[in-house]
Amino acid sequence: MYRAIIIGGSAGSFQVVIKILSSLPRSYPLPVFLSLHRLKHVRSGFVEALSIKSGIPVVEPFDKELIKPGRAYLAPANYHMYLDLGNRIALSTEPPVNHSRPSIDLSFITAAHAYRSKLVGVILSGANRDGALGLKKVKEQGGLCIVQDPAACEVSTMTEAALQATAVDHIFKVEEIVSFLMKLN
Amino acid sequence: MTEAIEIGIVDTRNILKLLLEQYQYDFSDFSLISLKRRIEQSIQLHSMRYADALLSRLNDDKSFFDQFLHELQVETTEMFRDPSLWRVLRDEYLQQLEKPAGNAKIWLPNCVSGDELYTLCIVLHEYGLSEKVQVIAGYQSDYSLKHIQSGFTRSNILEISGENYKRYQGKNNFPDYFIGETPSQRKNPGFFEKVQFIRHGLNLEDAPRGVDLILFRNKMIYYNPPLAEKICGTLWDSLNPSGYLVVGIKELVPQGGSKPLKLVNEHESIYQKK
Repeated sequence: MYRAIIIGGSAGSFQVVIKILSSLPRSYPLPVFLSLHRLKHVRSGFVEALSIKSGIPVVEPFDKELIKPGRAYLAPANYHMYLDLGNRIALSTEPPVNHSRPSIDLSFITAAHAYRSKLVGVILSGANRDGALGLKKVKEQGGLCIVQDPAACEVSTMTEAALQATAVDHIFKVEEIVSFLMKLN
Repeated sequence: MTEAIEIGIVDTRNILKLLLEQYQYDFSDFSLISLKRRIEQSIQLHSMRYADALLSRLNDDKSFFDQFLHELQVETTEMFRDPSLWRVLRDEYLQQLEKPAGNAKIWLPNCVSGDELYTLCIVLHEYGLSEKVQVIAGYQSDYSLKHIQSGFTRSNILEISGENYKRYQGKNNFPDYFIGETPSQRKNPGFFEKVQFIRHGLNLEDAPRGVDLILFRNKMIYYNPPLAEKICGTLWDSLNPSGYLVVGIKELVPQGGSKPLKLVNEHESIYQKK
């Protein structure tokens, strides 16, 4: 029923993303888009760190890369990552949005248009409000919205902002996010 | 992020149709999703609310079209973006441009803000190559040219660029490259005096020949694959044998055509004409 998962996060989200990725089997049928705030100048290390325990391959896509199921796509440093028509990733060097490039909002908004009701959007721990508008778009387009329980976040700003903007479907602890996503298998 | 303007795909196509019919500018092979965003930004910038207002203005006001053309393009939003690329260019490639007879040529096909152009001028200046290299800067609208030559630079870009310059390990104090006081600081126009500015169409018509190095970074991301391939062919024609093409870190030059460009530095996305 769902055709893609998109996850947004910033400070405090790294370990959560690792937990999620490590629980997914190699045969996982959906692409997972990771729009995570990251250090601009660190080009190697991040995707490697995510890959170590991940059940599915994690890549930083090139522009126009075709989207394949069972792969995690990490937004490259200093680019916005869009989901484009024709089942491709589109990268952009437009100005930062909310001081962020990659912007979680931009990824979520384009994913919402591309996948509509077949999208699961997840917002994790973070120290700013990026992603609140994006998750709202996911909801508007009929997708499923999950927010990490702010009480369980290392920094609750991002998840609280998301909850203020949208009536989400689930507020989950990390274990619940993991088991939910695994069930989509 | 406050509620931004959003238009539909139909609105986007209508605007592109007008640009083609009225101005003979064919954007059909450009990334639609990127154009849509640029159009939305432009509508917001001019305090319009809907695509209709933009359509009317484009229809009625020919001089506005030139500015709109500028706004459709994405500016490089920092100087010395990807500092390691500039270090590698300086340390490994510039010496190849020191030709005993005549000037080497470096072409930047699509300058919008002048930030990357200025970066190159600084690099050449610090290396002592400003007199020995002809820099050719392409632009696509007169508004862009004016913007570039005004040297206008936003304060936040100055700060980010200064940090990049430190990582590049430049020789000087970065703020010294700018004149005037915040918030009106500008690039030093002296650096652009020897630059040759030429106007291109969307398909880089009037491309120069005999070029040794082309900097075309994060431009192909705004093209659809067929146009990217065609433009790479144009760039290939422009290069000297064994000349270099530098694209964005996360861009790929299409392979397998009749005009081969071989990846010679994977980390910095540097290709060579074969």
